[in-house]
Amino acid sequence: MISLRNVIKNYHADGQLVRALNGVSLDVAPGEFVALVGRSGCGKSTLLNLAGAMDFPTSGEVFLDGISTGAQDDAALTKLRREKVGFVFQSFQLIHTLSVAENVELPLLLAGNPSARKIALGRLAAVELNDLDDRMPHQLSGGQMQRVAIARALVNNPKILLADEPTGNLDTTTGAVVLDLLKRLATEGKVATLMATHSMEAAAIADVVVELRDGRIAGLKRK
Amino acid sequence: MTGRAKLFWRLMVRPIGREPVRMGLTILAVALGVAVVLAMDLAGTAATGSFRSSLETLTGHYNFEVTATGGVPEEIVGRIATSPINLAISPRMEDFAVVAATKKSVVLLGLDLVGEAEAIHLKSDDGASPSAPETENIATDFSADDSIWAGSSLGWQKGQHVSLIIGDRERTFTVRGTYDDQNQPAIVMDIAAAQRTVGRAEKVDRILIAIPESENLEAQTRQISALLPAGAEIRSAGTATDENRKMLAAFRWNLKLLSYIALIVAAFLIYNTISVSVVRRRAEIGIARALGASRSDVLLAFTGEAAVLGVAGAAIGVPIGRVMATGAVRLMGATVNALYVSSRPGPIELGANSIITALVVGIGVAILAAYAPAREASQIAPIEAMARGRREFLMRVHSLRDLTLAAIFGAAAWAAAKAPAVGGKPLFGYLATLLAIVAGTLAIPSVVHAAMKLFGATLQRTSVAALLASRSLLGSLRRTSVLVGALATAIAMMTAVGIMVGSFRTTVIQWMEGEVPADFYLRPAGNSSADRHPTISAELADKLATLPGVEAVDRLRAYQVSFDGVPTTVAAADLRESRKRGHSDFFSGRPAEEVLNELRSGDAVVVSEPFTYKHKLKRNDFISLRLGTSLASFRIADVYYDYGSERGFILMDRSAMKKYLPGDAPSNLAVYVANGADPAAIRKEIELAAANYRVLIFSNADLRKQAIVVFDKTFAITYALEAIAVFVAVMGVAGALLALVIDRKRELGLLRFLGASRAQIRRMILAEAALLGLVANAAGLLLGFALSLILVFVVNKQSFGWTIRFHWPVAILAGALSLIFVATVLAGFYPARIAVRLNPVEVVHEE
Repeated sequence: MISLRNVIKNYHADGQLVRALNGVSLDVAPGEFVALVGRSGCGKSTLLNLAGAMDFPTSGEVFLDGISTGAQDDAALTKLRREKVGFVFQSFQLIHTLSVAENVELPLLLAGNPSARKIALGRLAAVELNDLDDRMPHQLSGGQMQRVAIARALVNNPKILLADEPTGNLDTTTGAVVLDLLKRLATEGKVATLMATHSMEAAAIADVVVELRDGRIAGLKRK
Repeated sequence: MTGRAKLFWRLMVRPIGREPVRMGLTILAVALGVAVVLAMDLAGTAATGSFRSSLETLTGHYNFEVTATGGVPEEIVGRIATSPINLAISPRMEDFAVVAATKKSVVLLGLDLVGEAEAIHLKSDDGASPSAPETENIATDFSADDSIWAGSSLGWQKGQHVSLIIGDRERTFTVRGTYDDQNQPAIVMDIAAAQRTVGRAEKVDRILIAIPESENLEAQTRQISALLPAGAEIRSAGTATDENRKMLAAFRWNLKLLSYIALIVAAFLIYNTISVSVVRRRAEIGIARALGASRSDVLLAFTGEAAVLGVAGAAIGVPIGRVMATGAVRLMGATVNALYVSSRPGPIELGANSIITALVVGIGVAILAAYAPAREASQIAPIEAMARGRREFLMRVHSLRDLTLAAIFGAAAWAAAKAPAVGGKPLFGYLATLLAIVAGTLAIPSVVHAAMKLFGATLQRTSVAALLASRSLLGSLRRTSVLVGALATAIAMMTAVGIMVGSFRTTVIQWMEGEVPADFYLRPAGNSSADRHPTISAELADKLATLPGVEAVDRLRAYQVSFDGVPTTVAAADLRESRKRGHSDFFSGRPAEEVLNELRSGDAVVVSEPFTYKHKLKRNDFISLRLGTSLASFRIADVYYDYGSERGFILMDRSAMKKYLPGDAPSNLAVYVANGADPAAIRKEIELAAANYRVLIFSNADLRKQAIVVFDKTFAITYALEAIAVFVAVMGVAGALLALVIDRKRELGLLRFLGASRAQIRRMILAEAALLGLVANAAGLLLGFALSLILVFVVNKQSFGWTIRFHWPVAILAGALSLIFVATVLAGFYPARIAVRLNPVEVVHEE
C-alpha cells in the first residue's frame, strides 16, 4: 500500500544542505502496522510527510496504493490525500472553532460527501465518543481529543493512516488506550499504518518496527 | 540610547518590519486619515479665506466703510469729504467683468485714479516705478470710458485690447497699464467711467474712510453716521469679510467634521493592529514581566508601538494631504461661489501649524485607539501569560454588558439630537452622531455573533468554506467585531450622507417643479454667484414682452444686503405669472395667491426658510431693511421653502422695491410662452431679440438640469470624503484578514493535510471577506439609517435651516453597497494568496 523506493530527501536550512532521508526503501502492506522509531531529527516526520503525499522526494519514488506521488500535480495529490490518507498528530490538531462532530466530518465535507454527518457520527461511535459530538474541543480531555483525531483520520475510510507521535501528549495509561484503539481500528479496516514514535512501549504494538538513524533505515524488526 | 529605548526598539519597533504589508496598510490608513483632515483644513482656509483678496488688496489703510443697498448717493462722498472730521476717503465702484475670451470673472474696481493711482502703484508695463509722467499719463487717459488698468497676474500688456462682458453688454477696453496685484487679479477703471460702464450713475458702491487711530473713533463714526441717509450705514472695513466668514462657518464645520471619519476608521484599525500585537506577544509580555518589567512599562510599550505607527502615518499623510488639498480647494471653491459668495481660492499654505496639528491628530488618535488593548496587555499576569503561551485570539466579549451600554449610548444620542443648536452650530447634533456610532460599535459584537451563527447554520449545508469561514470569524469575535465596526462605521457614514444628499436632491427637484414655472429664463452671461447680481438691460425685458407668443415676462431684481450681520439676498419680482403657474409652498399652508396679494400692499415680504431659521423669525414678525436711502420696515407675510441658497432670501413685490430703489434693470427674466405657441420658435425669437446682449438663455429643463449639476458638484467633495473613509476601511479588512491568516496558518496547513485543495482554502478566505462585507454592509446600513435621521433633521436643519424631506436613494445606495461588498471580497485576495502559498508541512510542525 505504501512503497518507498530508494528515497532521498534534501532540505536547505540556513543555506546548508541537509539530507533528511538517505536512500530509504520501505513497504507497508494493507492492515500492516509499522512503527518508525529513532532520535529527533532522524527523518521520521519527513518520511511520514512523503508517505502522506504532503511532500516530494528529492530522488527515488513514493507509491501510495500504486500511484507515484512524484508524477502527480497538486490537485491530484489533494484528491489522493482525501481518498486514501488519514493523519493523526501528536498535538491532536483539532480546529477549536468546530464542534467534535464538525471536526470529524471535515475531511468528508472537503471531499463534498453529502452524508458527512452520518458517517462522522458512526466514526465517533467507533471511538466511543458518540455522546460528545456537540462538544467543543476545549471541553475534552487529551485522550478524548486524540480519539476525536483518530475518528477524523479514519472517517473517509483511508487505505493509509499516518500517525506522528500520537501518544506524545498523553499520559501512559491514556496513551495505551489510544494505541489499542488505533491498532484495532487499523486492523479492522485493513489500513496500512505508519506511526512515528519515541516510545518503545508504543512501538511494541506494531507489526513491524523500523529504526531510522541519520536518514537511513538502521534496523527492521518484524513480530 | 537608554536601556529602555534599546528594549523598545528591539521588542516593539523592529518587529513592525517583519510584516511589512500588514503594518504598511495600518500606516497607510493613518496616513489617509491624517491627509484628509489636513487637506480639508488647508482647502477650507484657501477656498473660503480669500474674500479680502481682490476687493481689498487695493483697500489701503482704511478702517471704515459706508455702504447702502443699491449704492451710496454720490453727494454723500462730498458731504463726508467736506465735513470737519479728520479723515481720508476713497469712493469706489465694485462689480465683476467677464473676460470674453476666457469666460472668467474678474473683479472690476472703479477708483478715483487721480487721487489713488500712486497709492496702488499703477504703472506702465516696463516695470518702472510710479513717477510724475506716469501719473500724468493716467490723468490723460483715465477719463476715457475704454481705459482700464489690469492686475499683473492677468498677464495683459499695455496697449492690449480686451473684450469684457459687463452686465449684459460686451465692450472692448484698452489696457493703459498694470499694477502689482499680488496674485489677486482685478481690473481698475476710473470711478466716473466705471459708473457709466455698469450703469449706476450718481451712485458709488462703497466709500472707504480712514480715520486716524488717535482720534475718538466712536465719536467720529457717530458724526459721519449723522451725515448719512437712513438707508446707508457706516461700519468697520472688512465687516463684509467677517460676515462672509460667519456665513461659511457651518459649511466649513460640516466638511471639517466629515473629514474626521477616515481618521475614526483608521483608529479602529490601529486598535485591531495593537490587539493582534498584544495577543501574539502574550508570552513575551509574561517573560518581560517576570524579568522585571512593570505594568506601566508594558502599557507604555504598546502605546509606544501605536505612536510609532501614528508618527509614520502622519509623516506620510502630510504630503498626501497637501496634494489632496489642491483637488479639494477646486471643489470647495466652486461650492462657495455657487452657494455663498464670489471668491477666488487663495494659495494653499502648508505652514508649521498645519503640520504640527496633523502630527498631533495622527499620533493622538493612534495612542487613544491603542490604549484599551495596551491596558489589557499591562493587566496580564506573567505566570498566566507564560503558561498559556501564544494562544488563539479569543478575546472576551461581554454581549449583555455591551448591549446595555449600546442602549444607554443610543438613548443619549436620541437626547442629544433633541437639543438645540449652540451658537448656530449643531454641536449636539454632532455629539448625537458620535454617540450613535459608539452605540452601534458596542452592539456590533452581538450582531456579528448572531449573523455568523445564522450564516454558519444556513451555509454549512452547502459549503464547507462558508462553515469554516463563519466559525473562524466567530472564533475571533472581538477582532472580527473591530473589523466589522470599522467597515460598518465607514458604510454607515456613507449611507447617512448618501441618504441626506439623496433626500436633499429629491427635495430640490420636487421644489423646482413648483418654483420654476416659466418656460425660459435669462441672466447676464458669465459665471453666476450667490452674491453677484449683474443686470440685464430693461429694454430687453420690454422687447421680449412684446414678442408674439410670449404671454408674460417676469423681472426679478436682486441685491445683496446685510441683515443682522449675515449676508442675505433681497429681491423683487412681478409675482404675477409665477403666482398663476407655480405652486409655491408656504409654511402657513395658505394658497399662494392669498399670500402674494399681501405683498402687493408694499409693506410685506415673504422670506425663505433658512432666513427665518438663521434670524429666529416667524410669520407676522417685522424686519427692517436698508434699501436705497431709506430704512424700511416690512411684515413677514409668510415663509416659503427655498433651496436655492443658504444665504437667506427676502422677496417683495417689484412695486414695493421701486419705492426705495428705482430702476427697471432686472437681474433675471422669466419668460412665459402662451398656450399653443411653439416654445422652440419662441426661443429663436428670444435669441434674435437678445442678439446684441450678452445673456444666457435657459429653457425650463436646462435650468433644472444646471441646478442639479451645481448641486452634484457641491456634494462631490462629500462623496470623495466618504469614498476615502470606505477605502481605508476596506484596506483595513485586507490587513486584518492577513493577520487572521498568519495567526491561523497551523489550521490552514492542517486543512491541507485533511484534504483541502488550494481552491478550497482560497474560497474559505474569500468567504470570510465576503461574510465580513455582508455583516458590515447590513450593520452599516442600519446604523447609517439612524445617522441619516440625525444628519437630515438635526445637523442639516441646525446648520443651514433647510427642511429636507426624507427619501431613500435606493439605486445609489444599492450601487455603493454592492461596490463596497465587491471591494471587500477583492481585499481578501491577497490574504487568500498568502494562505494558499503556506507550506502545510512547515506550518503544522512548527507548532
